[in-house]
Amino acid sequence: MDSRRSTAREFAHGLTALILATFLLGVSSGLGIMKNLVDLWGAVLFIPEYPAVVAREIYIGWRSWSRDKNFLSGEVSRLRNENAGLRLELAKLAGGKVYSDDRKNEPHTARVTLRAPMSWWSEIRIDRGANDNITQGLPVFSGGYLIGRISTVSALSSWAELITSSSFMIPAVIEETRELGVVVGDGSGSVLLRYIPAGRGIRQGMKVSTAMIGEELPPGLPIGTIAGEFAAGVDGYTTYRIEPGADLSRFYTVSY
Amino acid sequence: MILVILWLTQDLLTVFTGGGMEVPGLFMLGIVCRLLLDDGSGDGSLWAIWSAFAGGILWDLRWVGIPGFFTLGYVLVVLIVIQVWGMIPPQGRVSGTGLLVFVLLECSQLLPPMLPVLILGGSTGWGYFLVQQAWSLPAILMAMYIYLRIARDRKV
Repeated sequence: MDSRRSTAREFAHGLTALILATFLLGVSSGLGIMKNLVDLWGAVLFIPEYPAVVAREIYIGWRSWSRDKNFLSGEVSRLRNENAGLRLELAKLAGGKVYSDDRKNEPHTARVTLRAPMSWWSEIRIDRGANDNITQGLPVFSGGYLIGRISTVSALSSWAELITSSSFMIPAVIEETRELGVVVGDGSGSVLLRYIPAGRGIRQGMKVSTAMIGEELPPGLPIGTIAGEFAAGVDGYTTYRIEPGADLSRFYTVSY
Repeated sequence: MILVILWLTQDLLTVFTGGGMEVPGLFMLGIVCRLLLDDGSGDGSLWAIWSAFAGGILWDLRWVGIPGFFTLGYVLVVLIVIQVWGMIPPQGRVSGTGLLVFVLLECSQLLPPMLPVLILGGSTGWGYFLVQQAWSLPAILMAMYIYLRIARDRKV
């Protein structure tokens, strides 16, 4: 009996709620007071909703930053490669050595097929050779920075000597001061700039690129930046450590 | 109190998503769950009817602008749950009702957002509801787990 009464009461309340909801639905759109109620309720919820608003803004900002970063990173990489190609073109126009006949602004890419542990900092083998117009002395880049030059060429592959090799020596210039020196490797991962006169205001972060001396490499190829003083010689010349622009521990392809 | 927290959480989730998508109806999941666990003593299920009514009005005022749409949907869901659940004898409500509990919880997620579309029409496609249901599924499964756990503990 109680159960039946309870069910009837639930039914009555449910029906009342349904009728009220339907009535509200029918009349509320025409009532001006509803707009005020909506505004009032929105104002009341402003404070509890504030953390969600802030979280949403942070999320949108982060997403936008991440998207922009990816875009800019790709763009920087593309421009570096283009810059390297343009420098080569410039060198050719300035009377430098012509390395290949079909070279366009876009550099060619080669895959590193061997980097032997015994000669880790000295040389690499790439999967392009004379058939791909590779010639001895051709500069090799990674990320738009010079990492070495072709030393031996065969028909289908070539060997490139890395700038960290102890037998690698090329004339270089500090772009900000136009001081000339010689870039050498030490055979164990470091790159040094030698024969810079002491007291010339060389600072960390200054750019180092190839110099227009000799015919081995065209001028203006970016190598890296000054990382700090390595040693001051008694003869009045200082040796600086160079931070190579390319990551010499992690490259799987090179451009040339 | 738990229903207030669930309503507010649902509201905060909607603010976070920018109102662009239908978030899981945590408030209705709470009501349905509690309704299924109710032993029917006292005023029976009247609290559920009027809680759903109040929660629906407040939701309409916040997100629809016209009170009635979600109010109607929420009350309708409560009445369906009361009716269906009432047909099962109390002795048989724990074992073998997993599927039914799932259907009732699912009903609480599907009916309220669908009602405005059915009443007003519009271009909202099935894709919208599929996304909404996919988004609600973890919440439904969580509610089902909570229900089964409490029901089993009570039985023990």
